[in-house]
Formats: sequence, structure tokens, C-alpha cells
Amino acid sequence: MSTRMGEWLDQRTGWKGNWTAVFLRKIPKVNWAYTLGSATLFAMVIQFVTGILLTIYYVPDPAQAYASVSYITNDLPFGWLIRGLHHWGASAMVLLAILHMIRVIMYGAYKYPREVTWITGVGLLLITFAFGFTGYLLPWDQRAYWATVVGTRIGEVPPLIGGFIGDLMLGGEEISGLTLSRFFGAHVWVLPSLLILLVAIHMYLVIRNGISAPPKRDE
Amino acid sequence: MDEDREPPETDEDAQPEGAEAEDGEAEDSEAGTTRRTFLIRSIAAIGGGIAATVGIPAALFVTGSARAQGDEDTWIRLASTSSIEPNAAPVLMKATVSRRSGYLIEEQEVSVFVTTTDGVVFTVLSNICSHLGCRVRWVDDQDGFFCPCHNAIFGPGGEVVEGPPPRALDQFEVMVEDGQLFFKEA
Repeated sequence: MSTRMGEWLDQRTGWKGNWTAVFLRKIPKVNWAYTLGSATLFAMVIQFVTGILLTIYYVPDPAQAYASVSYITNDLPFGWLIRGLHHWGASAMVLLAILHMIRVIMYGAYKYPREVTWITGVGLLLITFAFGFTGYLLPWDQRAYWATVVGTRIGEVPPLIGGFIGDLMLGGEEISGLTLSRFFGAHVWVLPSLLILLVAIHMYLVIRNGISAPPKRDE
Repeated sequence: MDEDREPPETDEDAQPEGAEAEDGEAEDSEAGTTRRTFLIRSIAAIGGGIAATVGIPAALFVTGSARAQGDEDTWIRLASTSSIEPNAAPVLMKATVSRRSGYLIEEQEVSVFVTTTDGVVFTVLSNICSHLGCRVRWVDDQDGFFCPCHNAIFGPGGEVVEGPPPRALDQFEVMVEDGQLFFKEA
């Protein structure tokens, strides 16, 4: 039954060829360090799923943000789990992305013909940091508030344009509801869009170029 | 996650080619299970487990506030009974109630129509049309409640006179205590 449906779909979409190219492609003999990219991707999927779930109850308003987060954590069924997964998943994703990058550096996997994969990967790491920074403010508690004070002051450091960068991040002179709503907008719309775009390019290149074998001793 | 459940089919197709034969490991043909099918099934099982671990709490989380108990089972004070004239046209009376919705306590205004024939027995009717929830108003000329959304008319007792409503206007439970009129929405 499902085989026939698969055939029916394949004749119209050619999905089997793509399936083979993505999931059943030949790879060199590798080790566990090569799973770090997939692990980062998995963390990203968890972040998307739990993040979307959180937006169902979270309200990005200075008067309500903290109360809505508290409602999620303490009152809703499994809210603690969904928020906990998102909270710890964020750290896990940063950690995995960095470990993945170290693996690529150590094995020289960034070299020809994979330079573009590397560049998009660096972009992805920066986006991941931006996710962490913008998401940190959203619970709107003391830690979030002061971390954003510090973070945006760091943004003010560059000469000449620093002041403008700081105001741009805050949406004004200091932290306000405008800051909260722009961090929220960045966190749930701008960054995910960029992330999906870059992940698509990154993975297309990984599949197109194939992954590199671990270098031999005398290479 | 869906994709994780697909591989067994794909594998059955790929199996005859013996793509994994060069590995030469654990070709358990007697049991009819190759290392490859075993791994694919394991991945599918683990993937399914992860999907359920997130999916089931997610369903409970999303439906959480919808399944929460409402606080409609309380008496709401309307007015003193002496202020309601017998045999007059239905009067729209407003009461403010505080409702809990999630983490918010909101002040809500509820409006009901109140009538009495003798100043002793009171009728409290909902002003919400039983068709699709628009608010009805009393129209003297028609001696009935009129709903502007789909031109429905209800009689003075709330019964359907004309239009699409499936049933009469809701009538609420009433209580008189110390000369004060109360009603309950449940």
C-alpha cells in the first residue's frame, strides 16, 4: 500500500532520487566527530518546535512578558518542559555549533572545494549567537534586563558609529518596550528566516560537494 | 521527523542491490534482517520516540489554557429589585465581573436583558444571539429582540420569531437576596 503510494508520488515528484541523494549518499569512512553538524541541525529543529510553541503563550510586552513566561513555566501543562528544552537547547546548539566548527578546522575540511560551506557556516554561527542574545531578553527578568544593558553597551564601543549602533539595538536611548518588541521580532522572524536560508545553502553544499574524509597521517 | 519513519520502504528497494555488502559485517540473512534494516528501524524508532516525547507534551501544552476551568459558576449582582419596573420593555443591565484568563485578571462587562411581570419573579436573558454570537437589542416597534447580523428576531421571552437562530436566547439562573437581583452565567 505505502509502496504503491511511494511509487505514485515518485512518478510525479521524483522524490526517491532526492531521498537517495540526501539520506543514502555515499560517504567516506568517518568517525563520531562527523555527527556534530547533524547534531547542531537537530538542536535547531528542537529550537524551532519549542520556540513556535512558546510564542503561543508568550507576550512581548513589558507589562506582560514576565507574567506570561511565569504562566508558561508554572501553570501550563508541560510548559516547564517546553521552555526548559528551549532554554537548554539554546546552549546546546551554541556548544554543538562550536564543536562542529572545531572539527572542521582540525580536519581541514574548510579547504577547496568547501570554502563556501565554511563561510555560510560562520554566518550560521553568528546567527546562532544573535539568537542567544535576543532570546535572553525575552523573559524580561532582572538577569535578562541587565544582560541586555551590558550587551548593548558593548555594541556602543566602536568609535563614531557606536552610539548609533547602541540606539539601533535598543530602539531608542534606553531599554524599553521598544527594545523588547524589536528583540522579539528579530528572534522569531528575522533570525529564523536568515537561518533557514543559510542552512539550506550550507546543506546543499554539503550534499553537493560530499563530506571530506579525515586527513591521512602524511597529508 | 516524518522522514524518519519512511526508510524501511526505501530500504527494501535498496536491499537487493547489496550496497552494504562491501562492509561484509553482520549480514544476518537467516533472520531476514540485515545490519542496514536494523539500523534504519532503530533510527525510525528513536526518531518516533523523540517525536512523541516532544509531541505529546506539546499537544497538552497548546490545549492547556483551553482546557482550564472557567470561573462562570459565581453569582453576579445586577441591581436592586425595586429599580426594575414590572411589565416594562426589557432593560439592558450591565455588570462588571473580573475574569481570570491565564495570568491576567481582566475586568469584563456582561450585559443582560431583565424583565419582570410582578416585581417578584425576574427573567434574565442573554443579549447574545444564539445564531453566531452578535449582540441583540430590544426594538419596541417589533416587540422583540433584533439581531443586526442576520436579521433575526426573538420574542419578548427570547423565543425565535424570525431568522436563522437555532434556539431561543439563553436564560440565566436568577436569585434575589436582600432586595438585590443576582444571576449566574453557567
